Amino acid sequence: MTDATRVPLLSMRGISKRFGGVEALAGVDLDVHRHEVVALVGDNGAGKSTLAKMVAGVLTPDTGLVEIEGVPVSIPTPAAAHALGVATVFQDLALCDNLDVTSNLFLGRELRDARGVRDDERMEQVARQILRDLTSRIPSVRVPLAHLSAGQRQSVAIARTLIGSPRIVVLDEPTAALSVAQTAEVLMHIEGLRDLGLGVVLISHNMTDVRSVADRIEVLRHGRNNGSFDARTTGYERILGAITGAVRADLGVPPVAAAS
Amino acid sequence: MTAIAGFSEMVTRNLRQSGIFAAFVLIVLLFSLLNSNFLSPGNLTNIVLQYSYILILAIGMVMVIVLGQIDLSVGSVVALTGAVAAVLVIRNGAPWWVGALAALAVGGLVGMWQGFWVAYVGIPGFIVTLAGMLLFRGMTYRVLDNVSLSPFGGTYYDVANGFSTNGWFGGYGVDVFTLVIFGLAVVGYAVSQWRTRMGRIAYQQVVESMPIFVAKIAVVAVVVMAFGYQLAQYRGLPNILILLAVLILAYSVITQRSVFGRHIYAIGGNLNAAQLSGVKVRKVTFWTFVNMGLLAGVAGVVFSSRMNGAQPSAGNMFELDAIAAAFIGGASTTGGVGRVTGAMTGALIMAVMSNGMQLMGVPQSIQQMVKGLVLLLAVAFDVWNKRRADAR
Ligand SMILES: Nc1ncnc2c1ncn2[C@@H]1O[C@H](COP(=O)(O)OP(=O)(O)OP(=O)(O)O)[C@@H](O)[C@H]1O
Ligand SMILES: [Mg+2]
Repeated sequence: MTDATRVPLLSMRGISKRFGGVEALAGVDLDVHRHEVVALVGDNGAGKSTLAKMVAGVLTPDTGLVEIEGVPVSIPTPAAAHALGVATVFQDLALCDNLDVTSNLFLGRELRDARGVRDDERMEQVARQILRDLTSRIPSVRVPLAHLSAGQRQSVAIARTLIGSPRIVVLDEPTAALSVAQTAEVLMHIEGLRDLGLGVVLISHNMTDVRSVADRIEVLRHGRNNGSFDARTTGYERILGAITGAVRADLGVPPVAAAS
Repeated sequence: MTAIAGFSEMVTRNLRQSGIFAAFVLIVLLFSLLNSNFLSPGNLTNIVLQYSYILILAIGMVMVIVLGQIDLSVGSVVALTGAVAAVLVIRNGAPWWVGALAALAVGGLVGMWQGFWVAYVGIPGFIVTLAGMLLFRGMTYRVLDNVSLSPFGGTYYDVANGFSTNGWFGGYGVDVFTLVIFGLAVVGYAVSQWRTRMGRIAYQQVVESMPIFVAKIAVVAVVVMAFGYQLAQYRGLPNILILLAVLILAYSVITQRSVFGRHIYAIGGNLNAAQLSGVKVRKVTFWTFVNMGLLAGVAGVVFSSRMNGAQPSAGNMFELDAIAAAFIGGASTTGGVGRVTGAMTGALIMAVMSNGMQLMGVPQSIQQMVKGLVLLLAVAFDVWNKRRADAR
């Protein structure tokens, strides 16, 4: 797994995005390989969610190149992202309170039977299976989202990434509302995804979580790359320095090419 | 573990649903006490014929409202589509079905026009359909050259006034066909309720205890069969009731069992989430408005047939009846919540109140005031009920 020439699962090059006068991203590069968890860290407003939304097909870059397994792609819609094997947990979760758990899990990708009719039974079976695998504490797959706690809702959002066997999973602050025990579960889930050979992008402000699960840490600062660190060997101060700007990107250690 | 809820708990749990049903029953009882003619075969048939357009419009309207939009133009569209049919059939002697199809086509085109502005340009439905209300009313005047056209006569007239199936299975004084159809409906209802109950038990959800379940089915069966018997004594099954049954069944399936229906609820519940999940928000919005236009076309045919002609001012304020029916039937003002069956109950409440007050000779002005207050109270009850649920 240390072959430096292998093609990254996801490769983003020179990504820029402006919102009116705000330069959210300016020439950002990001690579994610198979069997790799890449943590994307940075201060509030650094551009992390903006980058995640580009992979998810919600935003399109002003300039820059996105490749999946070496093939240049454009991801104009969330449906296109799903078709390309990208699954995303958004920072604001993006769930419908008026729909039940199963409906939310399959929203936008409903299963149909041979006649093309919505297959509620099969969706419910899969939903129960997935939630059991996640050992989530969700009372029933038929309960409306409005009746769930913040942590349970986050479990549902994470469970969504298990629908339709994705290649790339993007998690934008997936543990923000979770208890210690549930956080540990999500981190184990992320390791499970890595073991399956997926590429994972984890956005988080929690350095302990990041360093315990990520292989590589990419720092964004003011919409630019500001260092790439090996999660196992780099000290906490170093990363914090890159986030706050005390350490300049070009003085940081060279990017770590491969994982585990 | 299967939880069996007691009667009182069941009632509180479904306060909204049982509340509206109880209200409907109470209103019917009240009017039958106040007027001995109210439950007569003739009058029951009359209610179905006279107010079918509210039910048809309310089907489309509740979908638009669940989507988080509103349609203020349906009254004008009913007038326009009826006018087009009248010009073709009455003025130009076209066959009845050409007029009916043309009305549906015009309704569909109107829906496309409004759906385009709402879905693809992003103008709120409130504005687009307010413009449509004026636009299509004006068009109706032009199509009709400012005059009324009548009579349709023939088959077109029978659409909303006929009893085509009367006597199919014979019967002396009581139409057997009508009784058979109502019997089938009751059996179908019982079977579907039973399957829902079994499904709920399988997933360990709360169900009513067996006696209450049986009692519920029995009450519905008695009420439905009594209604059917009254119709059978008069002239049998009105054509319009068959049309309504087909529409209600079809749209219950579309809204509750199809991907399209689920996406309507998703968009109304959380537009942003629906978009991020890959729901084709524009497409679904567009087709929901097209559907509303089509149903307004159906209502246009039914209403012009019922009136046996087309007037430039036809369908005035129909949109308010349809909107009120949806909200009385439990649709949420913020979208994402509401059911076709609820809207039908709401529409029946509106219909029964109008008819009952008319029978009693209540002046139009008082009728309007009562209907306005009922709408206000129904939604206030909703708000109160929701707060109570949130506070638990
Ligand atoms: N839709 C938008 N319109 C205008 N500006 C935006 C929009 N989305 C993001 N921005 C701006 O782009 C910059 C980057 O935002 P982004 O959400 O990517 O930050 P972030 O790194 O995810 O921050 P946080 O840690 O707070 O989630 C911010 O300055 C933000 O104000
Ligand atoms: Mg963010």
